[in-house]
Amino acid sequence: MSSRRSSRGNISEDEINELISKLQSLLPASSRRRGSGQASTTKLLKETCSYIKSLHREVDDLSDRLSDLMSTMDHNSPGAEIIRSILRS
Amino acid sequence: MAAKRTAPPPANPNPNRRRVTSAADDSASAPPSKRMLAFHFLRALSRIHSSTPVPRRTRTIRRAAYSSMARAASPRSAWSRALLRQVRVRRAVRSRRAVLMRRRVSAAPAPPLGASRSSVSAGQTSVAPPVRTPPPRQEGEPARADALRQLIPGGNGMEYCSLLEETADYVRCLRAQVQLMQGLVDLFSGQ
Repeated sequence: MSSRRSSRGNISEDEINELISKLQSLLPASSRRRGSGQASTTKLLKETCSYIKSLHREVDDLSDRLSDLMSTMDHNSPGAEIIRSILRS
Repeated sequence: MAAKRTAPPPANPNPNRRRVTSAADDSASAPPSKRMLAFHFLRALSRIHSSTPVPRRTRTIRRAAYSSMARAASPRSAWSRALLRQVRVRRAVRSRRAVLMRRRVSAAPAPPLGASRSSVSAGQTSVAPPVRTPPPRQEGEPARADALRQLIPGGNGMEYCSLLEETADYVRCLRAQVQLMQGLVDLFSGQ
């Protein structure tokens, strides 16, 4: 797939469809859609939006847990040692 | 430009690092390097651990997650540039506001509301900055694309085609970041 793009905005239908299908393959629920062929674009975009929002929520939740864990972290644990070795190399 | 493939590091001390599974990418949008992601995020985390007081840590960690994600991503992606721009702008606004607050506090002894004010700006981590250019409307672009534009940083100035590409890249990076953070949480909570 080439990312050939004309500068004037005459983007071909095929390229858009390619991008949409690529996006579709990224979504976690994409295995469901294989039977129905090309899902409607609107539905796909809606699923993408909700997936991104759920990823944002996961980042928030994980950073919350990380902040709790960091306050109780033991500095000499093997986990911290791994982190330090990663940062050193 | 050669595709940036992630090769698994020879000595991998971190058992939680997952291998890159998306092998079907070409040079158009390379998957983010897991090592770069881990490096930036861990460095930010160690800085946070030593400097930030506990009550504000969650917000700081979340901001660090997005910043490190944007730094580790290829600068060719528009969303990473927009995200880093947001961070810079917000930091400048915050420092200026802190200076103003300090001046005001020293002038009149009123309880400073700076903490709650700055939390408002920290709440919109991934929303695009105020729109300056009107979104260009392509033919056949569905109305749903506007919601997507708001989610992707810098999405408001993009054409529909680039919006789709940026979305794919952003989703990939975001997923890698979530996996990284999940691995860290497992690592720390399992000891």
